[in-house]
Amino acid sequence: MVNLTIDDKQVTVAKDATIFDAAKAAGIRIPILCHDKKLHPFGGCRMCLVEVEQMKGRLIPACTTPVTEGMIVRTTTDEIMTARKLVLELLLLKHPLDCPVCDAAGDCDLQNLTYEYKVNANKFTDEKFRWDIDYENPLIERDQNRCIHCGKCSRICDEIVAFGAYSFVNRGIEAKISTPFDEKLDCEYCGSCISVCPVGALIAKPFKFKARWWALNKVKSVCSYCGTGCQLTLGVKDNKVLTTVYDEDQGFHNGQLCSRGRFGYQFINSDKRLTTPLIKKNGTLVPASWEEAIDLVVSRLSEAKKSDPSSVAALVTPRLTNEELYLFRKLFKDVIGTDSIDHSAGYAHKALTEGLKESFGITASPSLIEDIQKTDLLLVLKSDAYETHPVIGFEINLAVKRQGVDLRILSDKSGKLTRLPDAKKYIHKPGSEILLVNAIAKSILDQNLADPAAQSLPGFDALKSALAAVSIEQISAAAGVPVEAITRLATDYAKAGKALILLPIGLGYPGHGSELTSALANLAILTGKLNKEGCGILILGEKNNSQGAADLAIHPTAGGRDAGAILEGCTSGAVKVLYIAGENPVVSYPDKAKSVKALESGAFVVVQDLFLTETAQMADVVLPVKSFAEKCGTFTSVGRNVQQIRKAISAVGQSRSDREITAELISKLSGAACGGSSAEIFTEIAASTPGYSSLSTDSLGDNGVIYPVVITPKLVPVVGVVPETEEGKFALLIGSSLYHCGTMSRYGEGPMLVCGESYLELGRTDAGKLGVSEGDTIKLKSAAGELNLKVKVGTRMPEGVVFVPYHFETSAINSVTAGNPVTWVTLSR
Amino acid sequence: MSENAAIKILICQGTGGVSMGAKEVEAEFLRVIAEKGVDATVGKRCDVIKTGCRGLCANDVLVDIITEEQGRVTYDFVLPEEVENIVDEHIVNKTTLEKRKAKPYYNTFVDQQMRIVMTGCGQINPESLDAYLAEDGFKAVEQCVKQMTPASVIDEMKKSGLRGRGGGGFPTGMKWSFCAATPGKLKYVICNADEGDPGAFMDRSILEGDPYCIIEGMMIAGYAIGATYGYVYVRAEYPLAIERLQMAIDVCYEKGYLGKNVMGFGFDFDLRIKKGAGAFVCGEETALMASIEGERGMPRPRPPFPAVKGLWGKPTNINNVETFANVRHIILKGAEWYASLGTETTKGTKIFAVTGKVKHTGLVEVPAGMTVRDVIYSVCGGIANNRKFKAVQAGGPSGGCIPADILDTPVDYDSLIKAGAMMGSGGLVVMDETTCMVDVARFFLNFTRDESCGKCVPCRIGLKAMLDILERITEGRGEMTDIDTLLEMGTTIKKASLCGLGQTAPNPILSTIKYFRHEYEAHITDKRCPSNCCKELLLWQVIPEKCVKCGACLKACPVDAIKWEKGQIAELVKEKCTKCKSCYDACRFMAIE
Repeated sequence: MVNLTIDDKQVTVAKDATIFDAAKAAGIRIPILCHDKKLHPFGGCRMCLVEVEQMKGRLIPACTTPVTEGMIVRTTTDEIMTARKLVLELLLLKHPLDCPVCDAAGDCDLQNLTYEYKVNANKFTDEKFRWDIDYENPLIERDQNRCIHCGKCSRICDEIVAFGAYSFVNRGIEAKISTPFDEKLDCEYCGSCISVCPVGALIAKPFKFKARWWALNKVKSVCSYCGTGCQLTLGVKDNKVLTTVYDEDQGFHNGQLCSRGRFGYQFINSDKRLTTPLIKKNGTLVPASWEEAIDLVVSRLSEAKKSDPSSVAALVTPRLTNEELYLFRKLFKDVIGTDSIDHSAGYAHKALTEGLKESFGITASPSLIEDIQKTDLLLVLKSDAYETHPVIGFEINLAVKRQGVDLRILSDKSGKLTRLPDAKKYIHKPGSEILLVNAIAKSILDQNLADPAAQSLPGFDALKSALAAVSIEQISAAAGVPVEAITRLATDYAKAGKALILLPIGLGYPGHGSELTSALANLAILTGKLNKEGCGILILGEKNNSQGAADLAIHPTAGGRDAGAILEGCTSGAVKVLYIAGENPVVSYPDKAKSVKALESGAFVVVQDLFLTETAQMADVVLPVKSFAEKCGTFTSVGRNVQQIRKAISAVGQSRSDREITAELISKLSGAACGGSSAEIFTEIAASTPGYSSLSTDSLGDNGVIYPVVITPKLVPVVGVVPETEEGKFALLIGSSLYHCGTMSRYGEGPMLVCGESYLELGRTDAGKLGVSEGDTIKLKSAAGELNLKVKVGTRMPEGVVFVPYHFETSAINSVTAGNPVTWVTLSR
Repeated sequence: MSENAAIKILICQGTGGVSMGAKEVEAEFLRVIAEKGVDATVGKRCDVIKTGCRGLCANDVLVDIITEEQGRVTYDFVLPEEVENIVDEHIVNKTTLEKRKAKPYYNTFVDQQMRIVMTGCGQINPESLDAYLAEDGFKAVEQCVKQMTPASVIDEMKKSGLRGRGGGGFPTGMKWSFCAATPGKLKYVICNADEGDPGAFMDRSILEGDPYCIIEGMMIAGYAIGATYGYVYVRAEYPLAIERLQMAIDVCYEKGYLGKNVMGFGFDFDLRIKKGAGAFVCGEETALMASIEGERGMPRPRPPFPAVKGLWGKPTNINNVETFANVRHIILKGAEWYASLGTETTKGTKIFAVTGKVKHTGLVEVPAGMTVRDVIYSVCGGIANNRKFKAVQAGGPSGGCIPADILDTPVDYDSLIKAGAMMGSGGLVVMDETTCMVDVARFFLNFTRDESCGKCVPCRIGLKAMLDILERITEGRGEMTDIDTLLEMGTTIKKASLCGLGQTAPNPILSTIKYFRHEYEAHITDKRCPSNCCKELLLWQVIPEKCVKCGACLKACPVDAIKWEKGQIAELVKEKCTKCKSCYDACRFMAIE
């Protein structure tokens, strides 16, 4: 610790603190424009200048100068005030005073400081800049005339996002922030640059002229897209969510969001939202009253319950709150008495509900997001981890670039992660992940690098004998990864002081199931990389409450039908009533024909959703529900963080929350009253869910609480199968696009502006061979069907491998896939 | 035939020499000597040796011929067509060509100096390792490694009192000790050869004339602080310096003077050149490091200082070319010897690049503490064209002006700062009565504002705002309050800017206001430029009393705006005049106003 004096106040701070930090700790505010706690010190704006007794003769920037023992600092002398005023006068000399039409007005650091320092006259005169404004890109309006050169946009894009869309160009007064060759911005559109811009040089186009900043009601919540659990602040006016508001103090991510989190909120007030219940009459869905709809649903459910409870089945999306999922489980498992309830197509949760359960005895990751920056070696399965969980991708960027973490990527394609500095990639043939992980485990054993303590753990002998049959050479040949690379990875992983494994899961990744998870868990258990900071496995659940759905066991646990069997049951007639809450099997489950057939089979289908989805269109009853912005509750995110969402607007149309609907159904079906607030239901959850026992809504606060787990490691032998290959065909991989998450993001304006339709991504060599280029249409054909897709040529895909995102209903990729990790297809122009 | 007996023909082949045709002169010497069989005729070998710059580039091509009988004779302005005659007369007939010999000024210019850093420049072949070895090359590093510990090398540097020659004047030994004290396996030594001050070219001349001495200086620094990797950051505008340094580095690698286990001493030292892409600010050490890292050359905040966290975050020691060039001499001759030179606070010598309205422009190396007057008058021969001295700008574009009444200021770090100027890299721009001090300030500010990297607000916008005011004044639109505004802003910008560029850029304005306030006032109140320099304020007429009817103005005028006939006073036709000032510059009698 270091002691210093600031404005006659004694302050004691950590020795790596800056004067700015120390002043902040002492409650003394020093003005800043270019400083950001997330970024490396810059020292460009010179607003934070202070006087230091020991450094007389010049003014010292508080934000970049580390404290030293005995330092005597003054923050408001006449000289300092003159300098700060001069800085503001100079900035205002060039900065246009178009505040009345600037979206940043009210949230503008320059405006606020100008006011605070009473700069109401300028002794200089000069012309303003006349740089062209970039209106061309879909989401970010760039007006360099307003830019004050704090460099935060370029720094955050480089340091945290690791994209590098901007840089300073030119010198002197002509210096400005530019894109490469001054062309229109073409980036990931995460909007991090907008969030840190202290003025209105970068603004969110979708929010332009929507509301004044001060007129917005700001409501803290949690993002409802992927499983990362980013906190966000919704900007609300007139019962509409108009934007997301940056708050640098939110969450582990300091308010950083990805493209869909920041720009994908428009689904909340979309004019496509369902506003009334619908009932199918004479083959068409027509508006109905809630009473009529509920009565119909209750009567069909109670009929089925009476005749055969197992003829009722439910598919529930892990986008719902814990409270809603809990009530759904209660409704189906307890009140109706069916175990046929599932989510995520039945496979996208198995890494948690079966893999981790088997290997660790729990259904949640032992590791946390914060372990990413604390580890020494990070082994990421699939480069897609960046696309599925972009803000966790930022953490990986920081781990590599700031903490020097050794990044290894075992993947069937390259991607942003493989381009990080010193990242080592192991590109394998599609579908050979388990083989490779087994080979690594074998190599660890062969090299005697296993932790001695692992030998006494259950399953050690079984694993050892199973691996004895494994040949690293054969796997090397089958997977296309050299033997030396496999053994080197095994050595480095085992010898690293700390090592962490990341595995993204989701509907787009059928191969990332229980076997792969157990195979990876074996590595961590064998080498003792568990129960320590920076160690273990982190499973990245796909949806905002994937972890909650696993915790609350929204899957068959007593022999009931899983998602696949439920759909088959509909077709066979065994399932009479299918209740779908938020899931959209027609688009997002593999094998579209299977889902369509099930829905057309004659079973009574109830769909609860925000939108009249492709699935809802085939329902008998459609119930409109509230979005996350219209309700309270909790989500459990990656790394077991239980966080609260807060109601920001009142219900859109007549929609009700899934909680309200489910509670009513329970009351009507059981005859016993079921009500209670989210908080009360959460208390019930805490009482009955492992790990949650110490939690209450009050204890969650703004940042949530990470619930504790105790693991009982067990080594589980897993058999890898050499993937089949088909000569002359391409391996089709499906997965997540960076701009989308599931099918909900299609209703967000932002994601659709950047990526509005499906595409097929392939490498340059293959594009050359096929004679196609970017934007062409290509025909894709599999055993299940055929499709036409736009071509996207990139550097990610190895030869013979192509990628298609799974989010879109037109050219839906599930019409040619059947749920295998790899689908073999032919391509033609 | 012994080496001593050979006739040596030294041809200056720095950038100045080469551009004046030194290569052709050399070729001609070789041709004539070979064709005429001169070696046989005089019975001795004639060695034609290319050397680096000896400082007097304005008088290139300079050729020294050293024979036993005549000693060393210097010829200046040598042209290829004269070579045959020189060989015939001087070498074969052994008669010095008195008329073609450099005039006495040359000896004055050389003799008044004290050459330590530049001993090799102009004397040895910069492209020959043997030539360097013959001058005790690499003896200093050998002495360090074999007889001294790293700590004692640093002590020796501290005792010598050497201060950084890049401008800041930070004690070199101290700097080394900081870097040595920072723990770390990988450390860097950087030589800053991004000499950007207009008119300064001492670093270039050293690199061109004696590249090995820089390598040796850096090796010694590497040994002392525990660095194994060195960079020389040379601006790309110095192709010859880069070529010769690269050649020297290659030879050193080949002969084991660089690389693993250098010279069998058991320590490793790698060295490579990084070419700068032409930004003035990259001479600032943190911007320089950013540039080496492949980033845009923008200064970074200090602390952390490079000694703690420098290139790629590793402890780094940066010194200027001239500083490294001093090192071997200090080691070989001892710290006491070095400390005995110069003044109390500035030891050793300093090279100045003297330009402007002085008779002999060029590089001069003088002991610190010589007065500015002596540098200008004794060494460089005083003011050209018999005009009156007005001021000398010391320290480059961000230095300050020294007026006539403090010409006896000694050239050392502290005295110059006290006078409102600075040592900087050692530029001295001499100005006479025709130079307008407001215009000078405007000129230098225009340079610094152009070269500002644009990172910090006071420098990026502040310098532009100050320049606008100065331009207004030079165009006759100034107001009296402008002077105070300039003073106030200048003071604040100095204190508030991020790096050395902004922190010194206002100096030319502050010092010209300090010493030449009356010129500012004349521009503002009388709308007159006392030096008849600011175009907008010239009357564009001939002063009949001063006109000597020579007609020089007529010849100079590109647009026929001068009416003159022999024996008549010239007349300037304002309607035709484009205010190009050609006539003004051409008039030796100050007859145009």
